[in-house]
Amino acid sequence: MTDTKPQPGMKEYITIWIGLLCIVGIETFLTTLQLSTHRLLAALLVLSFIEAGIALLYFMHLKYEKPNLFWSLVPAVIFVLFMMNHLWPDAYRMLSLRVPIQ
Amino acid sequence: MSESEMTLQAGHAAALEPSPYGIQSKKLTMWLFIISDAVTFGAILFGYAYLRAGTPDWPTPFRFSSGIVNGLVMTFVLLTSSLTMLAAVVAAKQGRKSSCLLWMSATIVLGIIFATLHLREWFHMFAEGWSLSKNPLGGPVQFGATFFSITGLHLMHVISGIIALIVIASGYNTDWLDAGHVETTGLYWHFVDLVWMFVFPLLYLMNTAR
Repeated sequence: MTDTKPQPGMKEYITIWIGLLCIVGIETFLTTLQLSTHRLLAALLVLSFIEAGIALLYFMHLKYEKPNLFWSLVPAVIFVLFMMNHLWPDAYRMLSLRVPIQ
Repeated sequence: MSESEMTLQAGHAAALEPSPYGIQSKKLTMWLFIISDAVTFGAILFGYAYLRAGTPDWPTPFRFSSGIVNGLVMTFVLLTSSLTMLAAVVAAKQGRKSSCLLWMSATIVLGIIFATLHLREWFHMFAEGWSLSKNPLGGPVQFGATFFSITGLHLMHVISGIIALIVIASGYNTDWLDAGHVETTGLYWHFVDLVWMFVFPLLYLMNTAR
């Protein structure tokens, strides 16, 4: 009962590791730019999801397992995380309910 | 009648059914734990983002020269520990026991360095007056609550991972455990790394004074 596809060697892992470090570098560089909070958040989240995807597929070998493992696990997590976003309007309601600072 | 046929007739067909995922049950169990833990971290990070979005004067206590550089070093250490864990898994699958144990030891050391840097940062913040319910900058107190809760939960995962690695390495050394156990523990360790990929940008980079 083993994995279905041949897995990468250390050379590929080191390349992926360097790529992940580069993404962290880009994230940090973005922080030094005078971006608005929302733009910075959006950019950091996109880069974080790319990083997580790479780690999931290569470091955690999901790319090399049977596809039904991926389809059994990942869509469910994404669905749950997506459903949490329905609470966002309440965060902005909190902002509009605040007493204005004099 | 063979032994397996007798077992089938006894109603144990499910026990002989091959895994639909083609992986060992311990690995599948770890995957199930990981997705449930991913939702847990997703929920607390969402809670943090909700509070941050709803609080106009959210504090940004980190300076690039101290907090962010420390966070970068921690990120480098944790990412490198994932690489050493991969080397351990590769060695275990190839049956190179001493090499596997060496790489697992390197992963444990890097994990301890990460935890030490994290605790050092915490104590530095405590000394500045931060706590779960206090904000020395005078703004909303939720920053301390969310920061220490989220990083604390992650740190607990790191410390648990270090303990698990020590146990698995000991078991693998004495042939009590096999390469499958090393791989399953590696899966957990990579997940801890994956969570940090969200914690570092959201809690550190988003809270840098600009």
